[in-house]
Amino acid sequence: MEQVDRSPWWWAVLFLALVVVAWVALQIDFVAITVGFSDPANIRLWGFNLSSNLDFSWMAWTWPTAAFFGTIFLLLCGMAVWEYVSPGGNPRVGVLRFETTRGDRLFLSLLGSAFIHLAWLGLVGPNLWWALALSVVYAVGVFRYV
Amino acid sequence: MEKTWNNRAWFLVLPVLLLVAFSAVIPLMTVVNYSVQDTFGNNVFFWAGTEWFEELLSSSRFWQAMIRNLVFSFIILAIEVPLGIFIALNMPKKGWGVPVCLVLMALPLLIPWNVVGTIWQVFGRNDIGLLGYYVNALGIDYNYVQDPYDAWVTVIIMDVWHWTSLVVLLCYAGLVSIPDAFYQAAKIDGASRWAVFRYIQLPKMNRVLLIAVLLRFMDSFMIYTEPFVVTGGGPGNSTTFLSIDLVKTALGQFDLGPAAAMSLVYFLIVLLLSWVFYTVMTNYDAER
Repeated sequence: MEQVDRSPWWWAVLFLALVVVAWVALQIDFVAITVGFSDPANIRLWGFNLSSNLDFSWMAWTWPTAAFFGTIFLLLCGMAVWEYVSPGGNPRVGVLRFETTRGDRLFLSLLGSAFIHLAWLGLVGPNLWWALALSVVYAVGVFRYV
Repeated sequence: MEKTWNNRAWFLVLPVLLLVAFSAVIPLMTVVNYSVQDTFGNNVFFWAGTEWFEELLSSSRFWQAMIRNLVFSFIILAIEVPLGIFIALNMPKKGWGVPVCLVLMALPLLIPWNVVGTIWQVFGRNDIGLLGYYVNALGIDYNYVQDPYDAWVTVIIMDVWHWTSLVVLLCYAGLVSIPDAFYQAAKIDGASRWAVFRYIQLPKMNRVLLIAVLLRFMDSFMIYTEPFVVTGGGPGNSTTFLSIDLVKTALGQFDLGPAAAMSLVYFLIVLLLSWVFYTVMTNYDAER
């Protein structure tokens, strides 16, 4: 018999605390740079130059792409919470005739959505709202039947 | 037996997650960012929306490279799989010949891709190359630098030489796992050589063959180094496969936006194939 042992809540708190501490440390560093407490070139953490090495402007961020990755990140967070509430990944055999977990279903939904958007762009036109709507319907179908 | 599910183990994956983030996720995010923008250099970008994707999907250059790549994959599969089965069937099953054959078969797989390309580039030259010189001496006009047909033949033979061994080794592993009792039963029934192959050997090999086909398809779909070293994608564009086209766009023309859009479409296709491959492998393990 399988026994589900949920991680205690303080693991999640510890993890979040680590993330927050790292984030605050970075912010303090940036504040220090901004208000001129020290020369940015000299701020080093284990040989890591915080001011130049953490400059991500070379990644050419835009708001739409940031929103896109933010949505993916939120989806993954949602999946993590779902897994915490109902552990085991809910494996089942659907229309594809092999076992899939909800992680597989999310992957299939995202991959399929990418192809739906590309097909829409190639066959219909640049207005992608209908492609998005179709992708949502497809994702619901995948989560329901796959 | 009691099995404990413990999600704490996921924390052990964190170092790998960091590694993958820096080696794959951050570059991929950058490619997504580039794919919706245009740049003239100096890290200054202009919003282009889905323009590069529209251009790519209606570009004959992209589809031609895609078709070339698919045709190439189809041809090498059509040669390597039957040839691999044939060689595996004729390899010795016991005695000193086994290690000799296995080492000989493994040799091409151990040679780095760029070295394979260089070997065949020299081998095929009609002035100093053994193959090119003697083929021309036989009266056949062979010049892979100028003739697209010759270039294709060279690239295909090179791939067959390099990768048939993989199919052979996989098939051989499938064949040696068949118990002798099957062959004894076939002998008692008076089965022909073909019947033994059709009803005993082939069914026992079908899983490894599936793995071989998927592996070779994925590999050939992503082929870059060998044709790049031998033909550089030419003559003209005749051996320009998707990856070569991508590098030409990204590094030759420095068109980062169109190259990023192309990379993403290519990435999605490879991701889909990888998923199929992973699913087949894991289901095979589950069935075993």
